[in-house]
Formats: sequence, C-alpha cells, structure tokens
Amino acid sequence: MRIRVNLTMRNEAKMMKRLLTLLVALMLAGPVTAQNGPLRLTITDGVIEPITFAAPMFQAENAEATQVANDLNRLVAQDLSGTGLFREIPANAFISQVSSFSQPVQFADWRAINAQALVIGAVAVNGGQLTVKFRLYDVFSGQELGGGLQFAGTTDGWRRMGHKVADAVYSRITGEGGYFDSRVVYVAESGPKDNRQMRLGIMDFDGANVQYLTDSSSIVLAPRFSPNGDRVLYTSYESGFPRINVLNVATVGRQQLQTAPGEMAFSPRFSRDGGSVIYSLSNGGNTDIFRSDLSSGQYVRLTSAPSIETAPSLSPDGSQIVFESDRSGTQQLYIMSANGGEARRISFGEGRYGTPVWSPRGDLVAFTKQNAGRFHIGVMRTDGSEERLLTASFLDEGPTWSPNGRVIMFSRETQGESGTTSLYSVDISGRNLKAVPVQGGASDPSWGPLQP
Amino acid sequence: MQTPGTYISATGHIVLIGWLVLGWGFDTEPLKFDAMDVSVISGEEFEQMVAASTPEPGSAEPTAPALPVIDDTPPPPPVEEQPAETAPPPDPVDQPVEELPPPPPPAPLLTEATDEPPVAPTEPAAPPPSPNIDVNEPPAPTQADRIASSPSTPPPPDTQIDDVVREEVVPDETAPAEVVTEEVTPTAPEETAPEIAIEDETPSGLVETSLRPVVRPNRPAPPAEEPATPTQTAETPDVEPTTPANEPSDDAVAAALAAALAADAPSAPAVEAGPPMTGSERDSFRVSVNRCWNVDPGSVASRVTVEVGFELDRSGKVVGQPRLISAQGDQSAADTAFEAARRAILRCQSGGYQLPADKYDQWKDVVITFDPSGMRLR
Repeated sequence: MRIRVNLTMRNEAKMMKRLLTLLVALMLAGPVTAQNGPLRLTITDGVIEPITFAAPMFQAENAEATQVANDLNRLVAQDLSGTGLFREIPANAFISQVSSFSQPVQFADWRAINAQALVIGAVAVNGGQLTVKFRLYDVFSGQELGGGLQFAGTTDGWRRMGHKVADAVYSRITGEGGYFDSRVVYVAESGPKDNRQMRLGIMDFDGANVQYLTDSSSIVLAPRFSPNGDRVLYTSYESGFPRINVLNVATVGRQQLQTAPGEMAFSPRFSRDGGSVIYSLSNGGNTDIFRSDLSSGQYVRLTSAPSIETAPSLSPDGSQIVFESDRSGTQQLYIMSANGGEARRISFGEGRYGTPVWSPRGDLVAFTKQNAGRFHIGVMRTDGSEERLLTASFLDEGPTWSPNGRVIMFSRETQGESGTTSLYSVDISGRNLKAVPVQGGASDPSWGPLQP
Repeated sequence: MQTPGTYISATGHIVLIGWLVLGWGFDTEPLKFDAMDVSVISGEEFEQMVAASTPEPGSAEPTAPALPVIDDTPPPPPVEEQPAETAPPPDPVDQPVEELPPPPPPAPLLTEATDEPPVAPTEPAAPPPSPNIDVNEPPAPTQADRIASSPSTPPPPDTQIDDVVREEVVPDETAPAEVVTEEVTPTAPEETAPEIAIEDETPSGLVETSLRPVVRPNRPAPPAEEPATPTQTAETPDVEPTTPANEPSDDAVAAALAAALAADAPSAPAVEAGPPMTGSERDSFRVSVNRCWNVDPGSVASRVTVEVGFELDRSGKVVGQPRLISAQGDQSAADTAFEAARRAILRCQSGGYQLPADKYDQWKDVVITFDPSGMRLR
C-alpha cells in the first residue's frame, strides 16, 4: 500500500512540475514583449482588515477643557473602532506625542507603529461654549486628508460634537458619509411576553440619550422616521384598533393619518420628500399597497391583486417600491414603479423573504429571511444578485439602514417565555455584529438621518 | 386376485428390483478398494514353499538369545535443544516493508509558497500555518478581525499582534519597527479567517445556512494581460531572453526553461535590462503588495478597479507618489479606491521591495491593477 501511495505522490509531483513549467513559460514569455513598457501586475487578492488609526489626546486649549477634551477623544475613537472598519493604536505605543495642534507631524514616528491614519484635535471651552477642531493625516503618503475643521457648540451637546468629528474622519477615509451623529427611534419594551409594556423611545445611534415619546398605556408598533428626522410614523392601538399616527419629534404632538377606507392600515413609511406615506391596507381579507398624501388626505391604490402585498419601501430616488408579496405561493420580494404597475420578482432563494428595506445608497435591499426554522437578516442587490445573509438566530427581524447605507440595525428576540428583545447592528459585509446598549427590551428600530 | 392393481404392483416391483440390481452395475462411484496381484499355484508348490520357510526342528541347538546391553545413562534429551534453537521469534512480517526507502517529503504546494512569507529565523516559532482548508468542508468559521486568502490560526496568547512581521523578513534587521519595542516580544500574524463568518450560525448543529446564489457577472472582467503574450513571443522571436547564468538558481525549472528558450532564439546583442523577470519574482512582488491592500467589501470602493502607476528607485523604494492611471466602475468611489491602493503600495515598501537588482530596467516603472471584484463576496 505504502509503495502505491508513494507512486501516486510521485506522479502528482510530476504533474505539478509539468504545470509549473507551463506556468513559468507563460510568466517568462510575458516580460519579453513588455520589456520596454512598465512592469504590469494585476492584484485581485487583498485582505479585509480594520484600518489602523492613532488618536492622541486632544489638546485642551484652556484648563476648563481638559475633561471634555479627554471625553471627546475617547468618544471619537470609540465611534471609529465601533464600526469594525478601524482599529485604534493604543497611546502607549506612540513614539512621539503631539504637543501642539499646529506643530508639523513626524510621519516617520507614526509609520513606525503602523498607524495608517492620524487624528489630532484641540478643544476650547468658554463658559458653555465648546469649540473642537481637528486635522486628519494619511500617514503613509504623508498628506493631510481634507483641511482642518472646526465645530462650535455647547458643552451639554459634547457627544454630538464628538460624533461630528468622527463622522468627518470616517467620511474622509472611506469616501462615504458617516452615521454617528444620528438617532434611532424604537419600541421600548418591559415586562413579560404576555403582558408587555410598550412605548416609543428615541436615542443616539450608540444607545445614549434615551428619551420617550409616548407613555406605555397602549400598544405601539413599527415606528418609522421621516426622511429629515422631524416626524415619526407609528401604529397605535390607542383607540382599540390599529391606527397610523404621525408624531412630531420636537413637540411630541401627534395626529392620526388619513388613510384609504379599510379595516386595518399598517407598515407605513414616509415618501422620500416626507409629503406622503405609503402603507398597506387590509380590507375584506385582501391586503394591498396604498399611498396617501399627508396634507390633502388623497390616496392612490398602487397594487390590486388577490394576494397579500405589504411592507413597501421606496428607493432613494423615489421612483421604485420594493415590497413583499405571496402571489407566487410563498413570501417573496418584488419591485415595481412608485406609481404601481407591473412588479418584478427579485428574490429566488429558498425560504421566505419579508420586510424589504431599500438602502439609502440605493444599491442594496435589506430583508428578513425565514428558512429552515431560523431567521436571517440579509442583503441583496436590487436585481436579486449577490445575496448575502448577515445574521442567523431564533428570531431576527425589522432591519433598518444607517444613513450612509453601511450598517443595518435590527431586533433580535430570544427563545422562550422569558425571552427578551434587544437591538443589534451589523455591517453589511457581515462583520461586526454587536448589541446596541439599550436599557430594557427594545425592538422595531428605525434609523434616522444624519442630524444637521 | 388378477386385478390391474396386482399387475401394476408386480410391474413396479420388478422395475424397482431390476433397477436396484442393475443399478449396482451403473453405479459410477465405485467404493474405494485396493487391488492386489495374485497368482494361482498348485498344492505341491504350496507345500514346497511352506517347507522352505519352516526351520527344521532338531537340526541345530537353540541358542539363547543375546542379552541386550542395558545402558544406564539416560539418552540425551534432544527435545530440549529444539526450543532453544527456535527461541528467537521470527522477525515481524512487516519487516521488509520497513526496509523500503522512506517516502519522500511531500512537495510543497505552490500556493503555500507564495502566500506565506518566510519567517525570520531569529523570531520565536510562529504558529504553524493552518492546513489547507478545503473549500467544500470549511471548519466552523470564527469571527476574525482580518480576512485574507491565507487563513492563519489565532496567535498564542503571549504573542503581540503585529502587522509588521513582514518587515522583519527584510534583510536589514535594524528596521525601525524594532525600535518600538525595546525587547523582542514574540510577534505573530493576527488571527485570520478565510471568510466572514456569521456568528451563531449553526448553534443547534443543524445545517441552517442557505447557499449563496450564483453571482451574476456584473461587468466584463478586465482583460487579462498574461495569457495574450505567448502568441506574441512566437511572432517576435528575435527579442532575446539572455542566458540565465546569473539568475537565482532555486528556480530550477525556470532556469532550464530559460536555457531552452535561449537556445532556440538566434543570438542577438544582450539587452541591458538583464534576463526577464521570472514568474516567482513577479509573484513575490505581487504578494508583497496585496498583503497591504485592504479592501472594505461593504464599500462602494470595492466595486472600482483602479490602475495605479509608480516608479521605483534601485533599492526598491517608491519615488514620489503613486498616480492614478485609470479607474473602472463607480466613479464616485474612485478616489477612495485609489487611496487604498496607494496605501498598499506605500505601506508595504518598508525599506524597499525585494526585486532583482540586475533587472532594474524592467521594474523601474510599475503599473498595478487592483481588481477587488473577487473580494466582495468573501
């Protein structure tokens, strides 16, 4: 036996050598003709890893600013590291310290510790006024990325200032918008599953600054931010029946939405201009998609099929709607024009697809998928290709996009009577799944836009 | 009594008896017997024979039979020596197999040779490279920070995660990276996974993942440069690949091939650029750059293919700044894609790329195409 194995190995080696010879012949022949031109190479295999950055302590320009400079620096670093796209190099590895905001940067010192980006900042506090300025450097090319930037605000709003700095750093390095200075509206839950208290909560994207918009006297469901973040749509059982309400975030005043006549209206979303609402309406056992104008109350029927059409979501340019329908027998995703008409099916995998949400970037659709007894949050391109499941658990649902279309937040419920619901976020590459730190149970998140 | 039954009975009995009687004759299986030769003799002959064999009584004194000599010495026990001779047990049956020459060491795979850089000898032992992972049967994936084509195991707990391991491979060990840590702490490459894993993907042991649908080609692949060249070589045989006398001898196949090519080609004045770069030289250059090329698969920039040109000095260091030659794909992210490519080129040079000095003319100008299309669905 052993002898035979040796023989096959020798044969393989021979084959390999022949292949190698062929390969080398090709490689050798290449430069012969390209001798006068540049050396040409094609690289297809990179790595996927966090970009390293160094954020030395921000300079406090007066004594009052020492504490807030420290806090801001940590918040910026935490925001960036929390994306999973960046990794901070700890301060004890630094070779040179930054002693002044305007001092030229010793790039060699930062290259030596392999920092790819460098953030330096300065903070000044005058009474309640807070001023933050920062510069960002690409260490290996020795260039500054963008110019220096300065933000002014109040000391109370220091977290927003920190998020703004982090957003600017993020967008300069990745070339895409940030999402740190944004808020999330969600359903705060408490109590056991059979007697759950629900109220609308609003918080920063990282779980800080929680406020409540309603009390827990009645069931509230499915809050949705308006495109500019000033209003929230939600479904309330205040009157005993599910009704869609529009709530003003600043004044907490609310009014009921005028919908088309029907038994039950649900899964509302604002149009991209905020002037109308698309929703599904159930009437006589059939569910279809409608659009209502907020100011005039006029409505348009967008689908008319005997099957159930629900969960509409508009494309960023407002021209198309993605929705779920069981017209093929199982729940699948379809895309149609924003004014109704012929729908085109985009999901073809196994299992059931639901609650599609169009990415603000426009290139992807996030969805909930149920297959073989498990729930997944996934993304696919708008033609249905490149489907990628990002999570898997007992119950994942309600995906919502970050303002830059890079991160998805969703709610995850654990099994059993004492199961709890909490919010999670995941990068659309499937990395960096983590819980959003919220007090108590939370579900049905809706991620708002970047704040002005 | 003369009933038909009697006839039938009688006939049956006769047939049966006849068969039995004749059957003995038909028996094809004779019983075993010994034949013996006999001869017929008469009564007289018999008596003569008997008389000849019987001794005459009284013709001779009966002599006492000789007493046997009784020997008291016990006979030598030959049986006891027998086991002594057979005492050493015969050698194991598989002995001849062991005498065969040991199997030759398996030939190193090409992928391992190109993907894993040699580790500096002074370093403490790095974690052994993980075995080649079969694509069809991936192990339980782990969530790793770093995703690369060559997966590595989690480093031992004492080691310090260090990106700059490759710098220590460079001959001049006084690289600035050494200055950072006064004493040499063990470093190892960061844990690397071959693909992005979904956490808690199969907690119950069931197969619960769904197959990734086949990706539609979204854009034509960039034209391959390499395969087109062999035909051109045939058309222009006068460009001479010079003898590989000063080539690194480790690539024996390449050397033999270059020799064969040189023999075929007509003699021409030697090109100053030196012999053409070998496949392994180009490969090692490519690998040293793609180790630093960080692709963010979720970004728009991962849909942009950029072509970046730069110049190298004789020590292999980049002169000036890399420049963007062309970008294909989403133009809004071309700058980001270019910046990532530029970072890869500048970060990985660390003391100069290792390129054969005698072929400087060939790698003075370099154009690298960074194509992330294969990285998006990692």
